[in-house]
Amino acid sequence: MKARPSRSLLAISTTALALPGIAIADAPPVNSSLSYQVSNYKEDDLSREESPFGDLGRYDIDVHQFQFISPLGRNFSLQVDANYEDISGASPWFTTIGPSGSPIVSLSGASGIEDSRGELSVGTRYYLENGSIGGNIGYSEENDYRATYGGINAERHFNNDLTTVSVSLSYSSDDIFPTDAEIFNRVISEDKSSTSAVVSISQIINQVSTFQTAFSITEQSGFLTDPYKLIDTRPDNKTQIAWSNSYRRYIRGSDAAWHVNYRFYHDDFGVTSHTADMSWHQNFGNTIQVIPMLRYYNQSAADFFTNVDDFSRPATDFQSSDYRLSAFGAISAGLTVKTTVGDWDATLTGERYLADEKYSAFNVSQPSAALIRYFRVSLGLDFSF
Amino acid sequence: MKLIRTLLFCTLSISMLAACTQVRPWERGLLAKEEMAWRTNALEGALNDHIFFSKEASSGGSSAAAGGCGCN
Repeated sequence: MKARPSRSLLAISTTALALPGIAIADAPPVNSSLSYQVSNYKEDDLSREESPFGDLGRYDIDVHQFQFISPLGRNFSLQVDANYEDISGASPWFTTIGPSGSPIVSLSGASGIEDSRGELSVGTRYYLENGSIGGNIGYSEENDYRATYGGINAERHFNNDLTTVSVSLSYSSDDIFPTDAEIFNRVISEDKSSTSAVVSISQIINQVSTFQTAFSITEQSGFLTDPYKLIDTRPDNKTQIAWSNSYRRYIRGSDAAWHVNYRFYHDDFGVTSHTADMSWHQNFGNTIQVIPMLRYYNQSAADFFTNVDDFSRPATDFQSSDYRLSAFGAISAGLTVKTTVGDWDATLTGERYLADEKYSAFNVSQPSAALIRYFRVSLGLDFSF
Repeated sequence: MKLIRTLLFCTLSISMLAACTQVRPWERGLLAKEEMAWRTNALEGALNDHIFFSKEASSGGSSAAAGGCGCN
């Protein structure tokens, strides 16, 4: 993009701030930045074959995101994030066998769901000669859900600043209090907690390429069941591991950067997944950047997934017809156009996501009804000062 | 066991990268470009993390988890 020394320095600093990144002597960002992005996320309606009765409309969500980053004194930086979501639509309530023998789904509530979510997170980072340490706290609230979370992280550079090791710890305490609980015989109030640890190593390979590998483990305990499903019983503990790898390469002849990412995931619900994505960040002169993106996701089913709810089983038996626990594959493609004018950046993104059991590389013994397809469009503005 | 062997192999591979060609600080200009960051657009990345966390069974990887949500 446009050669502006201050923005380059800001980019270096925010790279170090955002994630364990390229090993560069640490310092707070030299400029402040204010960012806003508005998005619309819209899931495709179900077909009459998938849901013979009732409404077919699914989630339609407007998302507003704000971010403020600023230096704070000589060695600190401050980051404030705020999000607001306006949610309407419906989600699967229960599944049965349809006339053709395939599972069919009924959506929740004839009038659908109206909800909103607000979130605020504040973080700070202290910069040292060979690394930095930081922390953040956050709070998220919906009509029926509340999360309070916090985290700390530290990174240190080694090997002439060619290698960066980063460690992060986070904890979230969540409360669940479903709406219309007494009418639909739902739980009144439950809670769960989540603890995560991440270790990553970033390595500069040469003048144009870098590599990062990261391992994370997350332990969830408490009420992990979906309270809005007519029948849904899950274990009250879950251990998740993920191993992520990222590669970045700058292509001098094209004035472009190539991003490749791969993640392996496994949890003790029995889900294993592979995620691969790549993007091409093509500069056109100093003011325009075009970024096509392609992603493939593939997961196996949870051990207790069933594509048709079995109401004859005891309520204590683990079972869930949640499509998110089924075996499926998903392909998504997106395009971002970014333009820079002075201290302003404007970004427009469109993304299409298609989930289908036919895209799965895993065995799909029980194809799920109601796998999602969505379209997302986002418009972002970024101002540095 | 297979998973542990794979992780060990990869960790060893990464540590061997430390022996790669030395890149001096003044040779890192291209690496510092915005488009070479691990995450080039923080808001875009956060939104995608949130959507995939809500609509797929997998989460985690390169950053510590934030708070959950009632998204279903």
